[in-house]
Amino acid sequence: MTIPHRRPRRLAVEGRLQAWVFIAASAALALSAGCHVDRPRGDHAHDQILYSATISDPKTFNPVLVTDAASGTVLDNLFEGLIKYDAITTLPEPDLAESWDIADGGRTITFHLRRDVKWSDGQPFTARDVVFTMHVVYDPHVANSIAPSITVDGKPIRVEAADDHTVRMILPRPFAPLLYAMGFAILPAHVLEPAYDAGRFNQLWGIDTPPAKLVGTGQFGMIRYVPSQLVDYRRNPDYWMKDTNGGPLPRLKGQTQLIVQDQNAQYLRFLSGQIDVYGPRPEEVATLEKHAAELHITVDKIGIDTGSLFFSFNRNPRHYVHNGMTDPRLTWFTDINFLRAMAHAVDKQAMINLCFQGLATPAVADISPANKVFHNPNLKDYAYDLALAAKILDAAGYRLIKPGVRGDPHGRPIVFNLTTNTGVKIRDQMCVIFQQDLAKLGIRVNYRPLEFTTLVERLDTSFDWDCVLIGFTGTIEPNNASNFLRSSGNLHIWNPAQPEPATPWEAKIDQLLDQGTMVMDPKQRAPYYWQIQQILHDQLPIIETVREQRFEAWKNSLENYHPTVWGLYKPELIEFRPE
Amino acid sequence: MSAPVVTVGTAQFAAHAAAASNGYRAALAREWRRASWPVRFSTICLVLFYLMAAASPVIAPYDPTLQHRELPDCPPMSLHLSAPSDWHDGFFYSHPLTLTDPIARTYTESRARRTYIHLFSRGHLFTTASSDAPYFMMGSDGLGRDLFSRIVYGARVSMTVGLVGVLISFSLGITIGAFSGYVGGLPDNLIMRWSEIEMSLPSFYFLLALAAVIPAGLSAVETFVMIVAIMSFISWAGFARVIRGMAASVRSRPYVEAAAALGGSRMRVLVRHVIPSVLGYAVVAATLSVPGFILGESALSLLGLGIQEPASSWGNLLAQAQDVQVLAHYPWILIPGVFIFLAVMSFNFLGDHLRDRLDPGNAG
Repeated sequence: MTIPHRRPRRLAVEGRLQAWVFIAASAALALSAGCHVDRPRGDHAHDQILYSATISDPKTFNPVLVTDAASGTVLDNLFEGLIKYDAITTLPEPDLAESWDIADGGRTITFHLRRDVKWSDGQPFTARDVVFTMHVVYDPHVANSIAPSITVDGKPIRVEAADDHTVRMILPRPFAPLLYAMGFAILPAHVLEPAYDAGRFNQLWGIDTPPAKLVGTGQFGMIRYVPSQLVDYRRNPDYWMKDTNGGPLPRLKGQTQLIVQDQNAQYLRFLSGQIDVYGPRPEEVATLEKHAAELHITVDKIGIDTGSLFFSFNRNPRHYVHNGMTDPRLTWFTDINFLRAMAHAVDKQAMINLCFQGLATPAVADISPANKVFHNPNLKDYAYDLALAAKILDAAGYRLIKPGVRGDPHGRPIVFNLTTNTGVKIRDQMCVIFQQDLAKLGIRVNYRPLEFTTLVERLDTSFDWDCVLIGFTGTIEPNNASNFLRSSGNLHIWNPAQPEPATPWEAKIDQLLDQGTMVMDPKQRAPYYWQIQQILHDQLPIIETVREQRFEAWKNSLENYHPTVWGLYKPELIEFRPE
Repeated sequence: MSAPVVTVGTAQFAAHAAAASNGYRAALAREWRRASWPVRFSTICLVLFYLMAAASPVIAPYDPTLQHRELPDCPPMSLHLSAPSDWHDGFFYSHPLTLTDPIARTYTESRARRTYIHLFSRGHLFTTASSDAPYFMMGSDGLGRDLFSRIVYGARVSMTVGLVGVLISFSLGITIGAFSGYVGGLPDNLIMRWSEIEMSLPSFYFLLALAAVIPAGLSAVETFVMIVAIMSFISWAGFARVIRGMAASVRSRPYVEAAAALGGSRMRVLVRHVIPSVLGYAVVAATLSVPGFILGESALSLLGLGIQEPASSWGNLLAQAQDVQVLAHYPWILIPGVFIFLAVMSFNFLGDHLRDRLDPGNAG
């Protein structure tokens, strides 16, 4: 929803350290769980309770303070924003706000709130809650990841309640990303305001809070949280949404998220029917499809991954220039010819076949094709061609100085370090493939994966790295990636937090990012972001690799279950078919 | 590679050989006759493994990092004996496999075509005419690399890690322990308290921290040697404490006191009388602690701290099997585990045997 974080979900999912220990541990856990927790038994379909698995425990129940994916998943059911997006069209649609008007050339946005919404403690939902939530988010003492996405040119948006059900926002200039940004959770002012005024907001709704005290407007209410085991939800009987016949929604009576900290264990639980839905890894898809009939499950493609997984070369002078001496690596990594040769040396097809079992597509543009509006489909990929790569290098003066060793124009052998995060087999393999292809070109690559926190420290603090394979999650609103795209951004990994753009094309990207937020209509905004993708493709600060084809598996007895890469489509309609 | 094992052997054999004033060969033959069959089997295993490590380029049919990108997770290929009329092509052949379904990784055998296996050709024990048409004796891994070649090269790491580790930690342990026990008093107290501090270091977190500070420019093998060296630098303490106890008990024995009374310097008494008395124990303990290092390397590789891709060790080869899917569909990935099992078992049998032979009081 907010700034692009470094794919915490994927990292958590794929980091399967000590899988054996975990399998044994989770087996033990399953046994002990049977003893200590009176887990609801019986038939999921009969009880209308959907079982799913999540990879780790929530860190907080306070939706404003959430920074990790696990807590976000747990809280999604409980809270709602003014606006949500349609998982299929990716366009904004009403949620707590019934409608909105854009006036004054985009400088004033008026949200008309629903009048039939009640908090789970029975109090009515009003404009006061919205104003309170925005106030909390802008509070500098409340560290949160929402504020940057609703801050325009460093200034907060003025929010006022025109009446109980109308909220007016006054912006310094037109700011299109606001509509997508308004999906963040709205908090109940009547519950939290006293504690906030007493300066205790950061301690509110920690994971030790009794679930009954969490007051939301969402489809479900939390009834139980057992650390490291499960989160139980029951239907919110007062939920405002009704089906076309006026019947109550959501249709499920409840949900249970099991906390299963190992992907192998999740897979086994899905096979044994303990969970009803599962997002399989590429190597599991074939087995699931083969046994679909006997397991009574459906396995389906849900689309192309929303994120981007790329190699990037360090262009940071803070790491390479010392006492007026420039390390030759900085010269290579800012040389477009060198980078082009590198792009031609990425064997995307081998990565797809070997690492993703054929279930991936080459990635060309930085924005995934899953983002139908903003993805630039007109870019021409750098084909895998080692002969061409060698030719480009030769022409630019990077010649073989002895057999199997390529040197730069000054005759220094080309050697650099390559890293990624440990414990992810797919990334390990991709790096080894790249390493072998570069070895064929006479370039020696020292490959050493680093533990995730160490890697992040090197990327954003010590800058001690040469080449990295790293991924970012994608979002529908392209401006959410501005911390990555903008030259002043902290996640601008090849040279973060620049005081002034280091290159003309980085300055151009900054300018396009500003322009892209001025136009309100998504279709008219798209060209700016297409141009940014074109610049990244031409200048190669990042070399795109491949995007996984995502799959989902679920029990046949589930109806209206429509998973997409952006989330579930109309989750309120999901139900188990009556027997 | 095999030299240190011989050294362990000679220390023991030499004693008996001298006593019997017989030839070295005869002593060796007698030792062999005395050994039980598990010990003989273990010795053969270890000799083979060290041979594998020493002669990896000859024994491995292919470059262990060569990727056959069209043959990922390929099962072991069957071996057929050629008809005598085809012997000029090769005594053995296999049918090439082709990947028919990249998603399910299924292979079909082309019965019509043959890949001949050449013995003693192009500097290899056995190989095929070209690495483009490979013969995978033990299958291939996820990147299409020959598992057998990777195991052979992996022996270099896995079989040396124990020796390097034991060499460092035991030479430190013996020197410090014997000195401390013989000298006694304040130095003894200081050294022993220091060793207690070292023993209380949580080694796992220590290694994690270490992995973070190791400079990025080092190659995979250099990184690993560093980790092993540091591991042994923190593991000498436990050993030193045992040696110290033995040395302290020897200190008041008549022959040591006599040596001192006859004017032997402390150094001389320590080197000539105290250390030899604990050496028998040291050799046995060293042999028995080698498996710990081999398993330690496997554990480190499993955590991503050990030998890194594309270099191989038995530990990181086995680490690939930590996945339900891999186990279910590509069981040959478990083969490196058999090698680890054999090596660990062999060192244990050999250590047991050495204890019986060197310390008869303990034999019962």
